[in-house]
Amino acid sequence: MSDAGKHRTIKVPMLARVEGEGALFIKFKGDRVTDVKLNIFEPPRMFEAFLHGRHLTETPDIVARICGICPIAYQMSAVHALERALNIKIDPQVRMLRRLFYCGEWIESHALHVFMLHAPDFLGYPDAIQMARDHRAVVEQGLRLKKIGNRIVSLMGGREIHPVCAAVGGFYKVPSESELHTLTEDLKWALDASLATVKLVAGFEFPDFERDYEFVALSHPDEYPFNEGRIVSNKGLNIFVPEYEEHFVERHVKHSNALQSVLTGRGPYFVGPMARFNLNYPQLPEVARQAARDCGLKLPVLNPFRSIVIRAVELVFASWEALQIIGDYQMPEAPKVDFEIRAGMGCAATEAPRGLLYHRYKIDQQGLIQFAKIVPPTSQNQKQIEDDLWHFVPQVANLPAEEAKWKCEQAVRNYDPCISCATHALRVNIERS
Amino acid sequence: MKTLILGCGNPDRADDSAGLLVVRKLRELGVDASKHSGDMLSLMDEWSGFDEVIIIDAMVSGAPSGAIAVFDARAAEVPRERFRCSSHEFGLAEVVELARSLARLPPKLTIYGIEAGNCDAGGTVSAEVVEAVERVAGEIWRNLPY
Repeated sequence: MSDAGKHRTIKVPMLARVEGEGALFIKFKGDRVTDVKLNIFEPPRMFEAFLHGRHLTETPDIVARICGICPIAYQMSAVHALERALNIKIDPQVRMLRRLFYCGEWIESHALHVFMLHAPDFLGYPDAIQMARDHRAVVEQGLRLKKIGNRIVSLMGGREIHPVCAAVGGFYKVPSESELHTLTEDLKWALDASLATVKLVAGFEFPDFERDYEFVALSHPDEYPFNEGRIVSNKGLNIFVPEYEEHFVERHVKHSNALQSVLTGRGPYFVGPMARFNLNYPQLPEVARQAARDCGLKLPVLNPFRSIVIRAVELVFASWEALQIIGDYQMPEAPKVDFEIRAGMGCAATEAPRGLLYHRYKIDQQGLIQFAKIVPPTSQNQKQIEDDLWHFVPQVANLPAEEAKWKCEQAVRNYDPCISCATHALRVNIERS
Repeated sequence: MKTLILGCGNPDRADDSAGLLVVRKLRELGVDASKHSGDMLSLMDEWSGFDEVIIIDAMVSGAPSGAIAVFDARAAEVPRERFRCSSHEFGLAEVVELARSLARLPPKLTIYGIEAGNCDAGGTVSAEVVEAVERVAGEIWRNLPY
């Protein structure tokens, strides 16, 4: 922060503990905010253009490269969209294996964010490395949880980062019952550790900050959403996935290399764990609902700083769900179904750890991709993050510069943004005048 | 004494592949060396049980391409800004420092950094880095206790 008469500027060169690179610019006069820009300067990565002309069967492996943390989300949205284009019906056991695959990704991604990226904010450390000196057991717990998520992903996907087994029609290879059962003891530990995590993070101190958000998530009548459901909101949206583009529009803003997505005629909206939790609480298993009740979470949760608690509740869910799937699993006769290639168009939305991930593809008679559209969760939350800061900055405007800066960064981290995904990144500049 | 030699990097990003090229050279010399792939945080599990660990990775410090820096990670902090080649949060130096906080460093940990000038996707490894790879592999080979 620099003082120049009545004009004050806070500049933070790089926002830490987010995935990828970008900057945040905040300008305010007294406690009145005059500008907020989430400046994503990481170059556009052009994945939709890369896909043009590639064979549909290459798609899951190409889109997995969009993100090292949530490759499965990209693979799942892609295979489901392409399966809809080709009217492919998958084996019910394959469907459950895809839910298990997603459990692995949620566990590894949420464990990383809860323990290594977000907890230091609440415990007062600049990073997990320094936090680990005083809270060794906490960090070890997070690392072990993440490792268990990695194990699921490795077993299902062939390797822990950028897995290679997801295929249109199923998987290239599926595990045997005995292979899956090797995960059971780890997952029982993960369930207990996740319950302990909910208690731990619920005890953190949260800023008093609530807003009237429009939450958007998939919703399925019988299950907490991963791969399937209608797109719903707490403000009356209830649509089939193919109607997505009639209601959501992406727009380019000068200060960002990631497109910002808004609800037509309504503006920013909120995707991710808080949206899922608020919109799908009844579909959580009792063990997760009990954990949420015990720690005092009341519906709807409107304080984004409490998203860390909800991620922990989702860790409980994912561990429990993985155990159920493994317990019920019967190896399918074939890892994937055969299909005929034809021209078509298909779209799908699935729930990445950070929220709704929409894909649409058009393919020709040879199965070559003619058009691809990918809308990642961070693009959808981008405008909402800026909006949060417009409202949050007045609360911290009178704090010492470093503290104000830290709080603003924390407000961004509430969303666990993945900037690499959004460009298919964060530096914070706060200017006071 | 059990020694683990690991090379890190991206084979498709020109000079960033320096660590992997050192592994290839060491294997040609009959030395057991591995490429590290996947989650950097898993390094702590990977080196568990080894007495000595040697890691080779590309670095960006502003030095001329192919410059070599050797860090005794037990003796001093590894400069994080030199090993920020990961687009995700935990790069090599962060994992080493996290391991130090958690008392999970191996008894001996040496990190070889080879300065990368060009990390463009699909680019060619520079002659300076190729030469540095030879020098680092030779030095590791000569210092091995067998």
